[in-house]
Amino acid sequence: MMRNPSPRLLIASILILISIGLLALHLAGFLQPAEDLITRPLTAVQGWIALRYNALRDLLTSPRDVAALQAEIARLESENARLQQEIVALREQAAEAQVLAALLDYVRAQPENRYLAANVIGRDVSPFLRSILIDKGSDAGVARGMPVVTARGLVGRVVEVFASYARVQLITDPATSVNVKFQSTEGGPRREGVLTARINGEAFVDFIDLDVDIQEDELVLTSGLGGNYPADIPVGRVLSIRRRDFDLFQQATIQPSVDFESLDIVLVIVNFRPVAAQP
Amino acid sequence: MGYLIGVFLLGLLAILQSTLLGNFHFYDGRPDLALLAIIGWGLAGKPDQTMVWALIGGLMLDSLSGIPLGASSIALVGIAYVIGLYRGRIWEPNLLAPLGVTLLASLLYHAYGLAVMYLMGRGPDFGYALSRVVLPSTFLNLLLALPAAQAMQALRLWIEPPEVEI
Repeated sequence: MMRNPSPRLLIASILILISIGLLALHLAGFLQPAEDLITRPLTAVQGWIALRYNALRDLLTSPRDVAALQAEIARLESENARLQQEIVALREQAAEAQVLAALLDYVRAQPENRYLAANVIGRDVSPFLRSILIDKGSDAGVARGMPVVTARGLVGRVVEVFASYARVQLITDPATSVNVKFQSTEGGPRREGVLTARINGEAFVDFIDLDVDIQEDELVLTSGLGGNYPADIPVGRVLSIRRRDFDLFQQATIQPSVDFESLDIVLVIVNFRPVAAQP
Repeated sequence: MGYLIGVFLLGLLAILQSTLLGNFHFYDGRPDLALLAIIGWGLAGKPDQTMVWALIGGLMLDSLSGIPLGASSIALVGIAYVIGLYRGRIWEPNLLAPLGVTLLASLLYHAYGLAVMYLMGRGPDFGYALSRVVLPSTFLNLLLALPAAQAMQALRLWIEPPEVEI
């Protein structure tokens, strides 16, 4: 004779069925308006907490005593001396770059980017995903696929948009792939590759031709190929290169320009339309 | 009352998980505050309510994550059910019970999380995920297991004070 299921098992089954139903509706895209309604108060509180937390973190991590300040001054002085030397070299390059830039601008006739500033209000709660939540959504004109940057370089791109907030997939997320190029534009083979990341957030450029000569500390920029990102946004610098003769390609580990641990404010490039936003 | 508090508490914990704990990690692992609250509430003696908390907590977490809505709820409801099933038989009288439950629940929760990632086509390297995420997160959960269980026990006593015969 079959035993009747216990009430607790019945409740658990119903709740799991509800979860599966919600999951199916979410995957089919029917839940977007409802999700927006539910998460609006959640993100409002999140934004409030994030702003205060960031202020507190900045206060706690700022130099706290004279010894620390003196060490900081000494470090800045040596940095200043090094930068003075660089300025001399850069001035020479700047004169040449001005000419090249003017020619490049003329050829490209690229419209100037329009930026929308947004506060970072949270990070993905899953340790397997690397994304951030920003406090601007479709109400402010944010759309899926828009690139997100800071003054230092590329942060990622918008992958999910709600009315009042959006989710930005970082370039350190393993699912990210960005077409990049190396700054030096000497002749020879194509100095390009695809930036991706490991689960620990370590970014690297793959699919670099074996013939390409890459230097450590070389700047990596977006190439604009594929149409998902504008060209020439700084991404990072080359930390190390792995080149083995039996491999088809070489790999370069990258130190991203952006410090993803202390992201407070980001800029969304709102006038860039990607060729095809990934699902 | 318990359901209402559950909504506020789990909403707050999901926000804290996303906002504050984003910067506090051991390797790539972070404590799972919602999971700890659900375990604590289950051990505090509200098994049926815990399953509803688990559903709400999972939805809150998924709404602040790239994981599809409802995915975490399935695991959390399952864990809440198992806690309710064995509560009173195995771990009720033992003060250290939260540690054992948290250990098993954390491993199950992260194993499920990994399975979801594989289903999404984004499965990380298993060895790496185990050593960098699952075990560090479990360790942090174990550190917080006893205080979390005590806090949830205190919350239950606050909501439902024991009846005293006069």
